[in-house]
Amino acid sequence: MATTTFERKRFNLSPSMLVWLVLLALLLTIGIISAVAVFYRGLIITNMSDTIPWGLWITVDLSAIALGAGAFTLSAIVYIFGLKKFQSIVRLAVFVGFIGYSSALLTLVMDIGRPDRFWHPWVYWNVHSVLWEITWCITIYLTIMIVEFAPVLTEFKFFDRYPWVRKVAHLLHKAAPVLAVLGLGISLLHQSSLGATYGIVKSRPIWFKPSMPMMFILSAIAVGPALTMGVAYVVEWITGKHRISHDVLRSIAKFSGLGILVYGYIKFWDLAAVTYYGRTPAVSEAFNLLNQQTPYNFAFWVGEIILGIAIPAILFLTPRFNRNPGYLVIGSFLAVIGVITNRWNVTVTGLFVPLAYSPGTLYQLEPVQYFPSLVEWGVVTGILGYALVMLTLGVRFLPLFGKEEAHS
Amino acid sequence: MTKKKTKIKLELSRRDFLTVAGAAAGSVVAAQALTTGPLSPFGTFKQAQIEGLPETEGHTANGPRWGMVIDLDRCIGCEYCQRACNATNDVAPDKPWNLVVEERTTADTPFFFTRPCLHCGDAPCVEVCPVQATYHRDDGLVIMNYDRCIGCRYCEVACPYDARKFNWEVRTDINPFIPTWGIAEVERRPRGVVEKCTFCIHRIDSGLERGAIPGEDREATPACVNICPVGARIFGDLNNPSSAVSQAIVNNSTIRLREELGTDPAVYYIPPKEGL
Repeated sequence: MATTTFERKRFNLSPSMLVWLVLLALLLTIGIISAVAVFYRGLIITNMSDTIPWGLWITVDLSAIALGAGAFTLSAIVYIFGLKKFQSIVRLAVFVGFIGYSSALLTLVMDIGRPDRFWHPWVYWNVHSVLWEITWCITIYLTIMIVEFAPVLTEFKFFDRYPWVRKVAHLLHKAAPVLAVLGLGISLLHQSSLGATYGIVKSRPIWFKPSMPMMFILSAIAVGPALTMGVAYVVEWITGKHRISHDVLRSIAKFSGLGILVYGYIKFWDLAAVTYYGRTPAVSEAFNLLNQQTPYNFAFWVGEIILGIAIPAILFLTPRFNRNPGYLVIGSFLAVIGVITNRWNVTVTGLFVPLAYSPGTLYQLEPVQYFPSLVEWGVVTGILGYALVMLTLGVRFLPLFGKEEAHS
Repeated sequence: MTKKKTKIKLELSRRDFLTVAGAAAGSVVAAQALTTGPLSPFGTFKQAQIEGLPETEGHTANGPRWGMVIDLDRCIGCEYCQRACNATNDVAPDKPWNLVVEERTTADTPFFFTRPCLHCGDAPCVEVCPVQATYHRDDGLVIMNYDRCIGCRYCEVACPYDARKFNWEVRTDINPFIPTWGIAEVERRPRGVVEKCTFCIHRIDSGLERGAIPGEDREATPACVNICPVGARIFGDLNNPSSAVSQAIVNNSTIRLREELGTDPAVYYIPPKEGL
């Protein structure tokens, strides 16, 4: 059936494309082998423990969702603030968002102890739980993105013989602005609740603060579009087709740069309030421990502040650099690294600090070092492979850049 | 510019008026709900927390609330409670529900500190569970539903007392505490769910059915309480003023762990005589 369609658009397998496909196959194979091992033996083969129950996978999960925020930010810019100039990148942004969210859900399914019960949050509600709310929002938002994307999918030649599907999809697309607003609300809610997941845990001194949701959502709004911008440039380099105007991409870089500065500003006051002016004995002790036993300080200042905030902000905002696509791609790559470092720093460091609950003075839980095991890296490799396969397929087969540009 | 402004001023239509009036009325309702209504931080639920009154959420005011008093002055650190618990609940030896550690007071005098699940009245684990796999029973016990747990481990992250353990693998070990310290009265938990101390809920429930009183009759009392050779653990109904636990709380100065978190634990400690 579908083969006829593919034959018409026959793939010209260049040597570099072949190498790329082999690489993708390798990543996916590593991922599948690791996933099978985890499903078969259980989470015991990871390096997580009862002291550090969340690790690399949660980090990837949080990062993928944050980086998928380009979809919601750029949709909001177009549909709510009416800046039609950015219309040309919305499809790509939604597609990147879809990849981010679906990667996150895949990682989550790996991470929970009972993947066979992944549907429980929809049936058994605990409306008090931020994690319940996050599960709902992520799945609803993923659905919204699919609906938003339906017309693009149905432009695929395969649907020539099923015109009614196309009709339904276009009907749904009429609701795009409504969906975008709905998606905006939901996205705003869960991007911040992901921070609240940590911010509300009162027993962990370095998590428990109201700035947590703020910092999560600001970093997502700032860095998500930057990733979309970076992807647009890289796709342009590889396919050799100039599809999205560089003026639009530079505007996104500037927006992202400003967003990163706002994020940095909140982070500065958070640092000042929590660790300097308003520090409690528990927080001081926690940071002492982290500085002595983990590379937290280095990861924070170098990974989050210098690489993740300072350099991208300079590259995105100064005319000298933001006229050059090369610098913009480097900037978006560094900003992404900054977000991932931040999510790791939040998750693992909070858990590294032992709980202090005993009435005396001597007994303390031992801090346990955590470094992801091979199988954890393997699963993450597979997730990365999945994301790249989706991107490759999308760029090759989907009209991601709108009709006019695709035909010219 | 100025002309335009006056024009706008004059054109305050009925629709605009209704919008503004509606927004104002909505704000009043929202403010009402937030100050005295169900969303208020000063509402009845939170008020109960502030005053330390029994809450209506976790358990009914009239029914029992099971609790424990642990006398740190009496405890000799024999670990019998841990062993009996390991046998009765078939707990993995390296992940005990009952913890026993040596501690020191500020005057450097050693004492022993033991800890079951504290069955908090306002439990962080119950609040965060996305599927209500862990929940409050009417008698205040914080219970796990192993058939519902998805194994996300958020409760483990949120518990301030490290009382929760995850089943990282299928258990095939032979429990060294059986039969010396008791026999397994409950099933082993499957892989991928979180477990914790239940105050031997199976004993409480079946005991009550037969008319036994938990805390007084041995068959309705947790294994750790029964086996303690020095009587350092007392169990019973915190809502019954004449129960042994209530009496112990009235007659001794007691502390609860990390009371500043507002978790309202059901386990009270009598500190060593010389103080902590």
